[in-house]
Amino acid sequence: MPLKLFPLIALAPLCLAQNPYAGDPHAAEDGRVVFRIYCAPCHGIQAKGGRGPDLTRGTYAAGDRDEDLYQTIRRGVPGTEMPDFSEINEEVTWHLVAYIRSAARHEAPPKTGDASHGEKLFWSKGCGGCHRVGSKGGTLGPDLTRSGRQRSYAYLKESIVQPDADISPGYETIEVVTRDGKRLTGVQRGYDNFSAQFTDMSGKFYSLDRSDVSSMKREFRSVMPGDYGKRFSGTEIDDLLAFLMTLKGTGVTQ
Amino acid sequence: MKLLVWLSLFAAMPAPAQTSVGWPGYGGNPAGWRYSELAAINTQNVERLAPVWIRQLGGGGNETTPLVSDGLMYLTGSSNTAWALDARTGQVLWSYRKTAPSGLNLCCGQVNRGFAKIGDRLFKVNIEGFLVALDAKSGGVLWETKMADYKKGYSATAAPLAVKNMVVSGIAGAEFGTRGFVDAYDAATGKRLWRFNTVAAEGDPGASTWGGDSWKRGGGSTWITGTYDPELNLIYWGTGNPGPDMNGDVRPGDNLYTCSMVAIDADTGKLKWHYQFTPHDVHDWDAISDPVLANLTIGGKPVKTLIQANRNGFFYALDRTNGTFLHARAYTKVTWADSIGPDGKPVLLPGNEPSEEGTRTCPGLGGGHNWQPQAYSPQTGLLYFPSSENCMLFYKTTQDYIDGQWYQASTVGGNEHGTGAIVAIDPKTGETRWHWDMISGTSAGMLATAGGLVFGADGQGYLIAFDARSGKVLWKFQTGDRVAAPPISYSVNGRQYIAIASGPALIAFALPK
Repeated sequence: MPLKLFPLIALAPLCLAQNPYAGDPHAAEDGRVVFRIYCAPCHGIQAKGGRGPDLTRGTYAAGDRDEDLYQTIRRGVPGTEMPDFSEINEEVTWHLVAYIRSAARHEAPPKTGDASHGEKLFWSKGCGGCHRVGSKGGTLGPDLTRSGRQRSYAYLKESIVQPDADISPGYETIEVVTRDGKRLTGVQRGYDNFSAQFTDMSGKFYSLDRSDVSSMKREFRSVMPGDYGKRFSGTEIDDLLAFLMTLKGTGVTQ
Repeated sequence: MKLLVWLSLFAAMPAPAQTSVGWPGYGGNPAGWRYSELAAINTQNVERLAPVWIRQLGGGGNETTPLVSDGLMYLTGSSNTAWALDARTGQVLWSYRKTAPSGLNLCCGQVNRGFAKIGDRLFKVNIEGFLVALDAKSGGVLWETKMADYKKGYSATAAPLAVKNMVVSGIAGAEFGTRGFVDAYDAATGKRLWRFNTVAAEGDPGASTWGGDSWKRGGGSTWITGTYDPELNLIYWGTGNPGPDMNGDVRPGDNLYTCSMVAIDADTGKLKWHYQFTPHDVHDWDAISDPVLANLTIGGKPVKTLIQANRNGFFYALDRTNGTFLHARAYTKVTWADSIGPDGKPVLLPGNEPSEEGTRTCPGLGGGHNWQPQAYSPQTGLLYFPSSENCMLFYKTTQDYIDGQWYQASTVGGNEHGTGAIVAIDPKTGETRWHWDMISGTSAGMLATAGGLVFGADGQGYLIAFDARSGKVLWKFQTGDRVAAPPISYSVNGRQYIAIASGPALIAFALPK
């Protein structure tokens, strides 16, 4: 197979409200195989989510109808990390929908936490300094306005206690040592073979050429402190997660 | 009187500066060097190189190699499109478009990699498995020939190869249980002259390398253009993966002639020799990369070689007269084989079989070097290509074959952050001469010129000029989109240009006048 290429040409979508392969186990099995190729890198090999949302919950960010799932696969979700997969043909796209339906386990995430207490912690214990929710918060880290839809419960938990485990693309750490020995660290805004653009912890933006500094590197780690697992008690983390899972991006058009 | 003297002086002046040098075929010359004799742009002045025109072609990204002849540029785009441009200004002279049918089974988008040209005829494939001849003057269709059925999973993306009065073409579709081939067609009529099947059927030599009837879904696609040696009258073509990609249990044996180089007699279509780089491949390591034909001196003896940076992570040199293995050397991180033995067979390392839970192997699915066109400079004697440094988890599953459906029997995963490099290799030994590290791999190809330069593009859209000897970056330009095509060079009225497709645009560069 050639290099995996993201789709270049949108084919005319087939507008059917219902999956013609609904409940067909062969279609679901074919969908599972295709899912592992195209979807698993973000949604996990078992569709339980990761960087992409958990798809086994039976409820989906872009709508819960078969047609919504179909269109989400074909067209992607603008403004998110979900690209369009228009190169997957109509039939196979329906097979994917059949697989996603078959994988749904209709389990709600644990509801042990106190979301309102989690919200207070979020704004008082530093999270909001770097993360945005709606119109409030900082811009250094990923926007969490839709975190309850975009990320799985397990992924959010991992992100709090082990922020380096998986970095959202574009939020890697840039480390630069200038010619006069000054060390600069910040969150990536841009990075290529010749230059880096980044924002340091104070919010200052830098654009530097590799040829003008002593060293420049990107590290696949987060600037987020790694000790929130210790700073927060287990109950507090449950509360924070309960709050994050309530964030569905209300007011965001689908 | 004075005027007459001046006129006679001008008339006496030679006019080499006014000549136009083209780019005649996919690989430049039939040996696939991607080397231009033009030297007006060189190591001394390349820092002044600048864009002179940009033509927005619409549609998707381009993987095309434009052809240039007598000041006209002929290029193909994604989804059955093509154009003729004024190579000096980018003005569109004609365009061609054919709507592709729905229901295509494609692994990797509706890409197309360019034309072949014989006389006033242009030849391209269409994505649905057709070969088309166009009138170079008008873009009018002269003939169309169906090579294979897209409903069965076939598709076509490679530029054809012009050989004498024949158009030679490969096919794609090894992820859909198809059976690959190399075809030759009469350039005048479109009539098929011969077909070489890349998967040995029952009764063929090599049939014993396929357990049961697994050859029927054997893959072995031919999705990148081959090369031609007119003295030996042999066509060289690399072949793709066996099907299904990652589950080799259902196809016990070496699976000839997948992941191989085949040398085909141009007149008969019969196999002269073959060499299999990756016997019984389970990592999708197609051997399709362009076979570069170079005459080298190895151990004091002149050898007609075929050289290739293979997807499996090793660089290979073969004797192209008979397929004898000469040497191989890893150019990237390789965990599946210790080396390639003197018999030309890989010395396998254990623990690299794809599994249900995932097995980590280097290189990854995309390989160390994929299809990106290589360049060979006779000036430096080096081969240039982009390389990837990556490892992946390879998963295996059982999968029933359904006619025309995706048949990979699992996938790859892993969350490692691969890097890339532009590599210059001495093909006489396989030793790396220079290595320019990149933050990621690239889909762009290479160009070498007599100006002592090598051009390539990185994964972030920069077109870059290197000193061909040292690998030093001498010039760069951010093209503004993903580059998945190789650069070419040509001249019009004595002015040298460098051109490359970036995203849906074609950009031409020259030195300021």
